[in-house]
Amino acid sequence: MGDVPPRRGVRVVRPALAVVLFLLPLLASAQPQRLTFQVQPGGVVAAVLPASILSDTDVRKQLSSGLTATFVVAARNRVTQDLSGARIEIRYDLWDEVWLVRKIEFDRKQEQQRIASFEALEKWWKTPLRLLATGAPRAPLQIDLTVLPFSAAEREDARQWISKSGGVGTAGGGTGLVDALIGTTIAAKPIMSYRWSVELSLK
Amino acid sequence: MRRAPSLLAVLITIAAATLLFWIFLHEVSSMWLDVALRPEVRQSLERSMEDQRTLRRLDPQRRAGYRQRFDENQKLLNRIEVIRMSREAMLRRFELSLLALFVVAATSASVMLWFRYRRAQERERREYLERMGSLQETARRHAHEIKGPLTAARLELERYADLVRGNASESELAHAAESVSEELERLARYTREFSSFAGVGKPALRRESLGEIVEQFCVTFTNAWPGVELRDGGLDAIVCVDRDMLRQVLVNLCSNAAGAGAKTVALTIVKNSGRVTLDVRDNGTGVPEHLRPRIFDPYVTTRKIGEGMGLGLSIARKVMLDHGGDLQLAESSSAGTTFQVTFGGEAC
Repeated sequence: MGDVPPRRGVRVVRPALAVVLFLLPLLASAQPQRLTFQVQPGGVVAAVLPASILSDTDVRKQLSSGLTATFVVAARNRVTQDLSGARIEIRYDLWDEVWLVRKIEFDRKQEQQRIASFEALEKWWKTPLRLLATGAPRAPLQIDLTVLPFSAAEREDARQWISKSGGVGTAGGGTGLVDALIGTTIAAKPIMSYRWSVELSLK
Repeated sequence: MRRAPSLLAVLITIAAATLLFWIFLHEVSSMWLDVALRPEVRQSLERSMEDQRTLRRLDPQRRAGYRQRFDENQKLLNRIEVIRMSREAMLRRFELSLLALFVVAATSASVMLWFRYRRAQERERREYLERMGSLQETARRHAHEIKGPLTAARLELERYADLVRGNASESELAHAAESVSEELERLARYTREFSSFAGVGKPALRRESLGEIVEQFCVTFTNAWPGVELRDGGLDAIVCVDRDMLRQVLVNLCSNAAGAGAKTVALTIVKNSGRVTLDVRDNGTGVPEHLRPRIFDPYVTTRKIGEGMGLGLSIARKVMLDHGGDLQLAESSSAGTTFQVTFGGEAC
């Protein structure tokens, strides 16, 4: 199988929708995000995420913040609506100045690595990410990639911290007024998202 | 009469108040969050982390300590960064929550105020009708009190004229003239009663023994109201009082008690925290409940028309207020009534 260009790619960028709509054709032509697929033994479909995502300015900025950037890939069969997916977590350790990466694939297989440089990270990024397994000869898929700025653990830590700061939360940051008003609004809003629709032939 | 505000006016007021509150809230709500998210805070933490990294190279033996401090700073930095990225959602929730609370509170307050207006309006209407009823009753009493002697006097005058025309004897003429005079005297007494109400003078206060006044009153008026026994409580206190006026007050109270069918009237001096009161308690039928709030108003009485104008208690209270004290209905039931006479003090 060769490269499969995205049939429909949507890049959500703020601030102004009008500006985005105006620039969308330019962006699309300048940064063609292409997904590359592999079919592995057992009908496992793996995808290689476009390198342009990792080198995107917003993503690079977030990666170097010290927070854990999370790349959530959801693969939905457009016919059967079966959902599968994988996740990549990347955190830059500011002390040791290394990239800590964790990959969790569709079958919950995990891989953790310490990567010394961004160049090495880019190389690692090109390793296929196993998304799903299917026995069907054809797989009409909708692939969604969402980049979240921080992890659930980091969100929970901030929520507990602000609850305690409010002075009315419980010691565990549980059910205080501040927690009810403010804490629950802390959410990892995606910094960007992509969507591809592909028709894979697995023969 | 006060008017209850219309629903539209209430809604407009709530909307205006909510708008003002929201503008205020929107202006100030982000301040507390922005303090924590100020760029200087972030820059300071980043510099501190950079310092720890530099120190680990210069002082490798204390690397663990630097690492610990570095991690603490980074944790704080991460929290601030997470909050910064959630800032808009947090502020939106905060503002909406407080706004909702404000709307609920404003609506509740408006509903309460509206009900208070309605209640006040209803009370005002009821009081007006009561006043009108009272005035009508007073007019009836006045008419009756004047009409009786006038009719009698007119008839006596007609009889006098007949006697003159019939060459009646001098004694018959004198008798008829005396009857006319009696009826006119009734009218004069009636007007004197009003004169006494209108002309209640200022009391000439003197330090007096209240016990002595009460004792003397009980002796003097022991047969004033047949079937009513006056009981002296026996205690004493010095008060500033106009003896004659106080006696008039006690006469009014005892007269009312007798009218209510009392068999005994006990006059008891009570001292409480330096305050002297005289409790006048009878075992009559009590004051009807609906009259109690207005018992000291002029022309309020339980007596039938022609038996009194209902001025006694209002005069009595006016007298005691002029003393610097008061006259209050302490309690009343079917077992009796207690009036409490209070005094201004010992200094005159």
